[in-house]
Amino acid sequence: MRCTKSRWLAGISALAVALTLAAALRAESTKRPRYGGTLRVQLRAASLSLDPREWKAGSVAAADSERLGALVYDRLVTLDEYGRFQAGLATEWSHDVGAKNWQFKIRAGVKFSDGTALTAKDVVAALQPLIPAGLTIASGEGAVTIRAQRAVPDLLEQLASGRTFVFRAQSGNAPLLGTGPFVLAESTPPTPSEANSWALKPARMKFRANEDCWAGRPFLDAIDVTLGDPPLRQILNLQVGRAELIDIPPDLVRKARQENLRVWSSPPETLLALRFDDAQAATKDARLREALDLALDRETMANVLLQRQAQPAAGLLPQWLSGYAFLFGDAMNLERAKELRAALPANVAGGTEPLRMRVDATGDLMKVLGERVAVNARQANLSVQPVSHTASGAGGPAPATGLHLIAWHYDSLSPRVALQEMAQQLHAEAGALEAGEPRDPEKLFGAELQLLETRQLLPLVLLPEYVGMASNVRNWSVAPSGEWRLADVWLDTAESTASNGDGSGEPNAARGVHP
Amino acid sequence: MRQNSDCPPLSALSIFLILLLAAPCALGQSVAAGDATATLDAAVQQLADRVAGIPNLRGPVRVRYFQEAGFATETGKDWQDMFREELEKLRVNVTEDAGANLLRVGLAETPTEVVLSAGVRLNDREEVRIVTLARAAFAIPNVPVSPIRVDQQMVYQSGDRILDAAFPTDDAGPGLVILANRAAGLSVLRVDGAGKIRQAVSLAGTGARVSRDNDGELQLHANDVGVVFAGKACRMAWTAPDASCHAAKSARRAATALKARCGDGTWKLLADGSDWFAPELLQVVPEGSARKGSAALLSNFPGPILSVSPGGEPNEDSALVVTRNLRTGNYEVYKITLACGN
Repeated sequence: MRCTKSRWLAGISALAVALTLAAALRAESTKRPRYGGTLRVQLRAASLSLDPREWKAGSVAAADSERLGALVYDRLVTLDEYGRFQAGLATEWSHDVGAKNWQFKIRAGVKFSDGTALTAKDVVAALQPLIPAGLTIASGEGAVTIRAQRAVPDLLEQLASGRTFVFRAQSGNAPLLGTGPFVLAESTPPTPSEANSWALKPARMKFRANEDCWAGRPFLDAIDVTLGDPPLRQILNLQVGRAELIDIPPDLVRKARQENLRVWSSPPETLLALRFDDAQAATKDARLREALDLALDRETMANVLLQRQAQPAAGLLPQWLSGYAFLFGDAMNLERAKELRAALPANVAGGTEPLRMRVDATGDLMKVLGERVAVNARQANLSVQPVSHTASGAGGPAPATGLHLIAWHYDSLSPRVALQEMAQQLHAEAGALEAGEPRDPEKLFGAELQLLETRQLLPLVLLPEYVGMASNVRNWSVAPSGEWRLADVWLDTAESTASNGDGSGEPNAARGVHP
Repeated sequence: MRQNSDCPPLSALSIFLILLLAAPCALGQSVAAGDATATLDAAVQQLADRVAGIPNLRGPVRVRYFQEAGFATETGKDWQDMFREELEKLRVNVTEDAGANLLRVGLAETPTEVVLSAGVRLNDREEVRIVTLARAAFAIPNVPVSPIRVDQQMVYQSGDRILDAAFPTDDAGPGLVILANRAAGLSVLRVDGAGKIRQAVSLAGTGARVSRDNDGELQLHANDVGVVFAGKACRMAWTAPDASCHAAKSARRAATALKARCGDGTWKLLADGSDWFAPELLQVVPEGSARKGSAALLSNFPGPILSVSPGGEPNEDSALVVTRNLRTGNYEVYKITLACGN
C-alpha cells in the first residue's frame, strides 16, 4: 500500500516537472508585454482639470489632475528612481557656473496629438505662466533659455514635478493639446441619473493611445477614468472585475488588505495639519498655539485612528523629501500644555468662546481627525469646536474660525520650493517669495524650524497614497514626482481579471524613490 | 478681529525669506561626485568634522542613528562605525551614558540627494549640520553574482536604454555592437573591448520608431548590420553608416541555444522579462530536457532580462544578455558562458 502511494507521488511529481519544463521550452527567448486593452480607473475626486494653469499648489485635487495630466502632456525633463534626470522634451541641457542661465535643446520631430510639430515657442508659451516668478523663459533656434536673477540649482527638480507640463492652448474651450502617450478622447461631466433624478452619474474621461507618441505608443489602447465613485463602491468594482485601478482612502486600506486586494502605497505625499487664522483674536496668543501643539497626540492619530496607514508628522516636509525630518522630535507634552493653558485668560479657547476649527477638506477621515484634535485639546483644558466646511454657509454669516484642519499635497521635488509654496499659500498676505535662493540644506532646516516655532501651522500626520489594482496589471510604476507611469502599464490576458492579489498584499513594483 | 494689514507682524514667511536670503551662495555642504564609496566616506568625514566644530559641544555625546530600512540594506552600518571613529579622532567622546548630550545622526535618500545629517540640542538651541551628495554620484557597486555553472561577466553598462547587444562579426577586433535608445533617439553603437564607444550611427533620420517594450533586435552579417523592429527592418554598414529602413515582416529571434566546449549537448537560454520591476533568473535548460528530466541551471540578474542573443561562431558557448539593474537604473550587458567542470 505504502509502495503504491509512493509510486503515485513520484509519478505526479515527475509529471509536474515535465509540464513545467515543457511550458518553459514553449516560451520565446523573452516574454513581451502585450499591446491592447482598456484600463478602467476609478478615482474619488468628483472633477478634475487637465489645464495645468488651474492647478493650485498644495491642492489634493491638483495632485489627481497632475496624474491624469501626465497621460496627455510631457515635461522637458523627468527624474528617475535613481536620482538621475532623464531627457524628456529636452534632449540636452546646460547651465552657467552660477546656475542662473539654463539652456534646453528641444527634441526634434515631436508632434502634438493633432499632428502639428512642437516648437521652442510652444514650450515658452506653456511654461511662462507655470514657472516661478523671477524666472524668464525665451525661445531660440530649437532651444529655450531660462534666466533668473539668483541661482536656481534646483530648476531641474522644478521642471520634473508639479505643473510644469508642456502643452499648446487652442482657441475657445477646446482642450489643451499635448505630446504625451495618450489623448483625451471624451470627457463627460456628471449628469443626473435617469433612474434617480437627484442622484448624479459620475463624470468620466476617456483617453486613447497616441499612436504617434515620440516615446513610443503606450501598451494600452485606452484608459477609461470614472470620477467621484464612493470608495466602498470602488473596492467592490475592483473585486468583481469592473475596474483595474482605484485610489483607496487610508481608512479603508486595512479593509482592502483583509479582502486580499493588491494594494500599492507611496511614500507620504499629503500632510494633514492645523493652520491658525487670526479671525479669532485668541489665536494671536503664542501660548495658546504652543499649548495646543503640545497637547496633540500624533502617534495615536497615526497608529490607532488611522490604523498605521499614516505617519506622525513632526516637521513640515516629509523625510523622503528633506532627508532631515527625523531631527524634529515629537512635541507632545501634556503637562506643559496644561501649564500654558492655566496662564491664559479663562475665556481664551474656553467657556463661551471655544476655538472653532473648520475642517477644510471633505471626507470621514478629516472629520474623525478633527474630533481627535478636539479631544486632545480638551485634555489640556482647551475648548476646540469642529465646524464642518459645509455648515459654514448655511443660514446667516459663518462663525469666525480660528483654526483650520487642512490637507497639503507635496507638489515639488525641490524641498526648498515645497517649503516655499507652503509658506506662500498659508501666509499669502506677506507676498510672494522671489525664486532663485541657493540650495543649502542647513538654511532650509533653519527656515523650516523657524516656521514650526511660530506654530502658525501644526503638522499632524503624513498620508501615503494607496492604489488598489487588479492582478492582471503589469509594469506598474510611479515616478518620484508621484505621477503614475500608465504608458508603460499593460494588461496580462493570461491572468484572471479578478482583483485578488497573490496574498502578499503588495505588488512587485518600483516605489518611486521611493519608490 | 483681523490684523491690520499695514502693520504685519514678523510672519513665519518673512523669517523664511530672511533665512533663505542670508544663505551663502556657495554650496559648501555638498560633496563632489566621484567614486561612490569614497564619496560616502568623504561625506561621513565631513559631517564628523562639522559636528566636532559645533560651539559649546563639550563632554561626551550619546549617538543615536536613524536610517531608513530600505536604504540600510544597501549601505550597511559601516558608515556608522566610521562616523564614530571620526568623532573620536577629533576628540569627541562617544558614550552610552544617558546623561550625555544626545546626538541624532541620520543617513537618508531624497529624490535627488543622499543626506547625512546630525542634530544636537545645546542650551535650548538646536545645532544641526547637514552634508549632501548627489544620488546620481552615489551608485552602489554591483554585488558580484556568483556563477554556479554558468559564467557571467558584465561587459558593458550605460544609463541609455539598451535594446539589444551582439558580438561583432567583422574583423575589426573584439567588442560589442549595441542597439540603444539614447536621448536623441535610436542608435547603433560600436563599442571596443574596453567599453568605449568607437562609432555611433543614429537611426533617428530613418523613420525607425521607438517602442516602449524595448522592441528591436540586431542582426549582424559579415559586412553590414541589420536592425529589426516590429514591421520594419533597417540596414547599415560601418563604412557607409547611412542606415536605410523598409517595411518588413519581423522574424523574432528564437530561443538562444549554446554549445558547451565539453560534451556535445546544446542548452537553451530562457527568460521571462515581462515584469520590468523584478530581478530575474536566466534558465539554462538542456535541449530535450523534458524527455530526459534534467534540471535547469539558473543564473541571477539584477533586473529583468530584456534580450538574449547568441554568440555565434566562434562564440558558440556564449551569449549576451541585456538587463536593467534595478538598483542603479543602468542597462547592463552580460556575457554568459557555459563553463565546464563545475
